[in-house]
Amino acid sequence: MINNNEELIKKALSVKGTSLLSDAFKRLIKNKASLSGLVILSIITLLSIFGPYFLKFDFYETDWNSIYLPPDFESGHYFGTDGNGRDLLVRILYGGRLSLTIGIIATLVSVLIGVSYGTISGFFGGKLDITMMRIVEILYAMPYLIFVIILMVIFGRNIYLLFLAIGAVEWLTMARIVRGQTISIKEKEFIEASRSLGQSSLIIILKHIIPNLAGTIIVYITLMVPSVIILESFLSFLGLGVQEPLTSWGVLISEGSRDMETAWWLLIFPGLFMVLTLASLNFIGDGLRDALDPKDY
Amino acid sequence: MIQLLFKRLTIAIPTLIIIIAFVFFLMRLAPGGPFTNERALPPEIEQKINEAYDLDKPIIHQFGLYLSKTLKGDLGPSYKYKDFTVNELIASGFPVSITLGLLALILSLSLGCLLGIIAAIKKNTAIDYTVMGVSLVGICVPSFVLAPILSLIFGLYFGLLPISGWGNGSVYNLILPVISLSLPQIAIISRMMRASTIEVLNSDFIKTAKSKGLSKNRIIRKHVIRASILPIIDYLAPATAGLMTGSIIIEQIFGLPGIGRYFVVGALQRDYTLVSGVMILYASLLMFLILISDILRALLDPRVKIND
Amino acid sequence: MNNILEVKNLNVKFDTAQGEITAVNNISFNINKGKCIGIAGESGSGKTQTFFSITGILSDNGKATGEVNFNNLNLLELSESELSKIRGKDIGFIFQDPMTSLTPHMKIGDQLTEVSIYHEKKSKSESIKKAKEVLDKVRLPRINNLIKKYPHELSGGMRQRVMIGISLMCNPQLIIADEPTTALDVTTQKDILKIFNDLQKEEITIALITHDIGVLAEASDRIIIMNEGSIVEKGKTSKVLVTPEHDYTKHLLSCVPEWLK
Repeated sequence: MINNNEELIKKALSVKGTSLLSDAFKRLIKNKASLSGLVILSIITLLSIFGPYFLKFDFYETDWNSIYLPPDFESGHYFGTDGNGRDLLVRILYGGRLSLTIGIIATLVSVLIGVSYGTISGFFGGKLDITMMRIVEILYAMPYLIFVIILMVIFGRNIYLLFLAIGAVEWLTMARIVRGQTISIKEKEFIEASRSLGQSSLIIILKHIIPNLAGTIIVYITLMVPSVIILESFLSFLGLGVQEPLTSWGVLISEGSRDMETAWWLLIFPGLFMVLTLASLNFIGDGLRDALDPKDY
Repeated sequence: MIQLLFKRLTIAIPTLIIIIAFVFFLMRLAPGGPFTNERALPPEIEQKINEAYDLDKPIIHQFGLYLSKTLKGDLGPSYKYKDFTVNELIASGFPVSITLGLLALILSLSLGCLLGIIAAIKKNTAIDYTVMGVSLVGICVPSFVLAPILSLIFGLYFGLLPISGWGNGSVYNLILPVISLSLPQIAIISRMMRASTIEVLNSDFIKTAKSKGLSKNRIIRKHVIRASILPIIDYLAPATAGLMTGSIIIEQIFGLPGIGRYFVVGALQRDYTLVSGVMILYASLLMFLILISDILRALLDPRVKIND
Repeated sequence: MNNILEVKNLNVKFDTAQGEITAVNNISFNINKGKCIGIAGESGSGKTQTFFSITGILSDNGKATGEVNFNNLNLLELSESELSKIRGKDIGFIFQDPMTSLTPHMKIGDQLTEVSIYHEKKSKSESIKKAKEVLDKVRLPRINNLIKKYPHELSGGMRQRVMIGISLMCNPQLIIADEPTTALDVTTQKDILKIFNDLQKEEITIALITHDIGVLAEASDRIIIMNEGSIVEKGKTSKVLVTPEHDYTKHLLSCVPEWLK
């Protein structure tokens, strides 16, 4: 009773603080869904990159004696073959390389555009902000696939154009979110402090605002990659995406659905890979979002 | 209300004009398009194009003519189909697409909201997990994977439903396409609705409603729903855009003679006028929908100032 | 001694990701009829959870055990449907933040009348009449227009008064006010306390939860001090504030500027 104040102080000091990142990481790992997502995604990525070296077939190798073979362990065609006798497994892995690459690159393009746009709009505010956001609002409701198709129609089916076109369409969500976050970060006192120290706007944006956006950006990257992959697949499905001899999951699924009555494996296996990848990315994204933005239950 | 409408129109019309301008100039950049020198066109089309676009006049004049024609609804001659105008092609596909689209929109909104609310109320129970699981399927299994699989199961194995063709609008032919088209949107809307409802359920005014001793039923009907549905209204236009995109694929898979199909064929054949005409049509529809969602929002949320 | 509420050995525990947390640790107290009892303590002391558990609006992961006697009923043993008949009718609740406590899309009038329509099966017109009386009691001007307005059209002080009005619609015996003045400026605070005073004259008991010692000094007859889920001291306000016995109370009071005492 005598040293009550001292006890109070001791108690206050004994509560251990945890850094935001380690806390978030712990929570991410605990989340079973995102953990399995991470595992599955890593497996698929590793398989896509290194798998083909261990298989005896090449993805463009045709074998007219082995067309439309069902999955068969002995012949080495673990997932079967397609109408040209090409091994499905190898093609799926190569397709994976392409789909994942497009996913990452196009997303990075969107992030670059979106973050720049969003921070400028949010940071400078006022009429600039209103105009920029109006533009986003309008573009947001455009049927993006149609727009990309038109670009492809006009400029031809160039793979680099594909990256750009898809990226140029997906940046809108990122821009909106980044702008919202920028506005709330902008209100915080440490920004005023650096301003009063005379730092230029560009420096403030680069040094203070963007690092604070990192968490949000990462979450949205994981959620954007799936929609980019789907967009590319849509295009390939329609015959407007990647061209022969390159292949992607979209192309494989498109071919597969044409032959699905006689050769179900041509649809199911590529479909499975795509679905697993998309699901993993979604789980990881959800997990990251929960981990970085804690809300009770 | 009138002020809101007016304000929206003053944005919508210039936007439309910008899109038309965009399409106009894009077409002129197109290699092998109607406006380059290397045209290898059959003479009938070449003549029609020349007439339609007044290619001998200065470019601003051309744009003005194109703009006025387009705003009046004349989308020009098809670049590939010698005897048809774009309007005619679109008109033939329109009934199919609009039926498909409207049904899908209604299904997506109603089922999505319903599932979302149920999942939120029964949070962390088996019902919640089931709804979220189904929605996960809708998000992770793209329509062009799901639709063939559904066709396989219900069309071929069970022989219940036709797997392609329009059948003159028969209900049976509509079932698989509408469901395949709506599923991704149902998935997204149910998630949104669930998250929104959970947030509303945790809010202070629901605490107040509970403290009044009202029944759960009444609280949900009178206090929760109208508050949690607001984000969905903002999603109305993007949802429609998503359905438009999806319909292109669905019409292709199920062989439905709608606008989407014409669009794809036009894209593959580089029928520039057809493709740009469709784009303008879709853009106009979307503008209209943005207008509707603004009106809805003003009606449902008293905090929205009508004379902004 | 006429007790309207008797709490015996109340425990409130929460199931969280960090394990089971005890918010309220075996407390007992009585509230006399017609008086205003103040419950003081810092955030996290368990004062709010005590009363949430009494009226059954704990969050789903919370559990309350013990005895809470109100009108010869142990509230903790009642089913949800039985409890909901008391909540909002015999026991009213006022929350802290008036800016977010009213349903944004419902007119003020509807938010008031729905209470008596639901609990007392009154007709719409009878309810409106009662609503107007109640708004009079809480000293809100221009009553006719008010009923048709939406919450965002009112100021914080007005909204809080509407909240009090809502709790009065079915002639409650007990009103629990959770930090009712914390979000308001000092002049509005005074008005609210005056209203509480008026209500007491009508034999309505008030439980005033707050961490503002000044409010307690002015409004409450008896006071309970809580810290970390336990009751640290209780008694007549005049006695506890002037001659506190427990160290924690002394510590709490030492934070109050001298001139306020």
